[in-house]
Amino acid sequence: MKKAVRLITILCIISSLLVLAACGSNNGKNGNSASNNPSQNSENQGQDGLKPITFTWFSADPVSNWNNMQDMVGKEITKKTGVTLEAQFAMDANAIPLMIASGEYPDLISPKGDAAKLVNAGALIDLRPYLEEYGPNLLKVYGQYMDRLSWSKDDDAIYILPSLNAVDHQYMDIAGAFHIQHEALKATNYPEIKTVKDYENAIKSFLEKNPTTADGQKRVGITFLADGWRIMIGVTNPAFLTTGAPDDGEVYIDPETYEVTYHYRRPEEKEYFRWLNHINDIGLLDPEAFTQKEDQYKAKIATGRVVGVIDQDWGFQDAVNSLKSESKFEQTYAHFPVTLNENYKDHQLQSSGFMGGWGIGISVDNPDPARAIQFLDFLASEEGQILNNWGIEGEHYYYDDQGVRRIYPEVQELKNNDPATFTKETGIGFYGISARYGDGVKDSTGNYYTTKWPEQVIENYSSVEKETLSKYGVNRWIELWPQADEFPVKAWGAAWDLPVPSDSDYAILAQRMQEITWQRIPQIILADPSEFDALWDAYMQELINNGVEKMEDEFEVYVKDRVELWGGKVN
Amino acid sequence: MKHSRGNQPLPVLPAASPARRNSFWKTALQQRWLYLMSIPFIIYVFIFNYLPLWGWTYAFQNYKPHLSFSEQQWVGFEHFVRLFSDDKFYQVLRNTLAMSFLGLIAGFTIPIIFALLLNEVRSSFFKRFVQTVSYLPHFVSWVVVASLVTTILSVDGGVVNDLLMAIGIIDEPINFMGKGSWFWYILTAVDQWKEMGWSAIIYLAAMAGIDPELYEAAKVDGAGRLRTMWNITLPSIRSTIIVLLIMSIGHLTTIGFEKQFLLGNNLTKEYSDVLDLYALNYGIQMGRYSFGTAIGVFNSVVSIILLLVANGVMKRTTKESIM
Repeated sequence: MKKAVRLITILCIISSLLVLAACGSNNGKNGNSASNNPSQNSENQGQDGLKPITFTWFSADPVSNWNNMQDMVGKEITKKTGVTLEAQFAMDANAIPLMIASGEYPDLISPKGDAAKLVNAGALIDLRPYLEEYGPNLLKVYGQYMDRLSWSKDDDAIYILPSLNAVDHQYMDIAGAFHIQHEALKATNYPEIKTVKDYENAIKSFLEKNPTTADGQKRVGITFLADGWRIMIGVTNPAFLTTGAPDDGEVYIDPETYEVTYHYRRPEEKEYFRWLNHINDIGLLDPEAFTQKEDQYKAKIATGRVVGVIDQDWGFQDAVNSLKSESKFEQTYAHFPVTLNENYKDHQLQSSGFMGGWGIGISVDNPDPARAIQFLDFLASEEGQILNNWGIEGEHYYYDDQGVRRIYPEVQELKNNDPATFTKETGIGFYGISARYGDGVKDSTGNYYTTKWPEQVIENYSSVEKETLSKYGVNRWIELWPQADEFPVKAWGAAWDLPVPSDSDYAILAQRMQEITWQRIPQIILADPSEFDALWDAYMQELINNGVEKMEDEFEVYVKDRVELWGGKVN
Repeated sequence: MKHSRGNQPLPVLPAASPARRNSFWKTALQQRWLYLMSIPFIIYVFIFNYLPLWGWTYAFQNYKPHLSFSEQQWVGFEHFVRLFSDDKFYQVLRNTLAMSFLGLIAGFTIPIIFALLLNEVRSSFFKRFVQTVSYLPHFVSWVVVASLVTTILSVDGGVVNDLLMAIGIIDEPINFMGKGSWFWYILTAVDQWKEMGWSAIIYLAAMAGIDPELYEAAKVDGAGRLRTMWNITLPSIRSTIIVLLIMSIGHLTTIGFEKQFLLGNNLTKEYSDVLDLYALNYGIQMGRYSFGTAIGVFNSVVSIILLLVANGVMKRTTKESIM
């Protein structure tokens, strides 16, 4: 035994020496990354707009097929601005913390969610003074949302120019949460589908006459996926969608007082869950709804025997694609803004406004911030945005007789068939790193900034889809929904976008509430209708016992802080 | 520690006596090649099993990854207090222990019985065939197994429900996967289906090493098959069984969460959430590294205590032990 102890002691010493040595050499490596600072003129800041300058640019999101600006769009940008970017991409989540530890910063940084760490370390400069002098296009694009660029309530500096979220982005189409097969609509003579009752009746009456599919499989009334987090998408989010509330994650925010309510505690939502309990009771709900896994769920829909699906369209897109590839277009789905009753309006198109968020910042090591802002300003200009979205005139796009901007057919073909080569050669889409407009915004020539617009959406519909749409008198599904202009813009953006420290009391309480909800909601829905009220009351009490009120109050502080930060008024 | 080179005289040395010290270095010199050969493994164990213990310090800090060790804030036992005052913790602990014990009971009866029976099979072709078939499920991923099980037990055309309905035991399909209180038993059964053959291999190997003369002697004494199984085979593999049992007891709280996670759903949460999943959901996923570490520390301490207790009990009662 003693011998072993002695041996281990010796080995400990040896290996700790080894470890220390390894650490030492590591430190050395961190220290010598200083060589890539461009030593260009910093004295005549921004005067000579075209003098070549190289900026190092760090991006937390790798740009696949990045071509060191040797692509066509990249060369054009260098020609117009004199700027060449030398890109570094993050390999893992430690990149920013390591950068901070080394104290050497690239000239431009797109840190994604790590901006706060950089700001706390004093690595980013305040862009506000530069914006006013050198950024007319940036100011124009952000326009009325300039308030939303301020860092925090206590620090109104602008450290990040948001680029992930596009300004004034509009939905070109929407599918919502309630889907029903085209053949069911056809067989029931295209009934009006506005409320959950309409939805239920259409499916019920179709099932009564057609209990099996043409190839003899038993049909399923309504299914959804309730496994893990998907229970939110398929089961609990529709509770607020059908009762006239916008998507604020797990909470409801009163638009007047900003009072926060855990959304299950809204009395109207109880009635939605009562409806789910009811469709389970009458056998319309898939008995496997709460036990199936994602693969089983998709496989089931892909057989074409599921009449109604409650989910977001991306949740079962694979299954629909499989139906389409078998030309079973009749068994794909139509989409409706279903509400609990006629008094509610679906709020899915309510605008959160431009949410700011992730973007690009300029570091303290940047030799010429004015040039950097001018560069970003060019990208935000009409010329820059068209260049990034469409490419070069005469090369990638042209204007037809009516002045409509069009992509050359052969360019479009390459784009569809070999996107990797296409982006690598052209560089189209690489440079969305500055302020930009979203889909549906028109430029000074009346053309769209981006290459996505309504007519294009309609072209992609199948003939069955077009037929159903025509029966309801619309061209796109989105036209069935109450439009964005019917609602005020939400002053707090979206609650799910609020930065909350992940180890705060709020986060822990929210996790606890989630556990309870995910456990109780399925039990309540599967219970006998006579027990529904008692179970619901018990669930509500359990939430209160576990501190739901404290959670709501704490979140309210975050909401109010953001509203104030974004120039709203809190009473 | 038991080891096979036990015949060499172990030098017993109170460090004080110079003569004894000499004899240590003498033996060390004699066995220098053995020492040298063991060094890589000791380094390996040290680096991968002992150095990470340094990370236990996180449990007593509010660990922030971007700060250096000296800048961390020390909070003492705060994370442990939080852990022990959380109702959810007791729920996951109950589930973990319940499933572990069920697994232990099933895992130490079924494979042994299976190995005993298989050992009695005369036809060696059939024996090998059965053995191969029985351990193949071990290599099937839990993802696939979970999918298979949910399909077989499905309410909508699952084989089990169809069968039970056909022979008239039940009138309407049972939602097996939706019954929380059944979860432990379903999981244990599936685990046994998957691991039975694999666990039996080691017992079969131990049985192969039994001296055939013992069986012949028993036969001469007029023992039947069951008698020989009970009086010869089982006692001969006793030490294998006990070593495996002690080691399994050491792993009682660390059963992983893969199978529970894959087979469970929101209806069975109350019975399917286990300690490791809790550490993941409430610890790492929320960036609470320290809290997650505290759970890990608790886990390790409990495992060591269980291991020592089991070892001690076995040593007393059966004279078999691993330490």
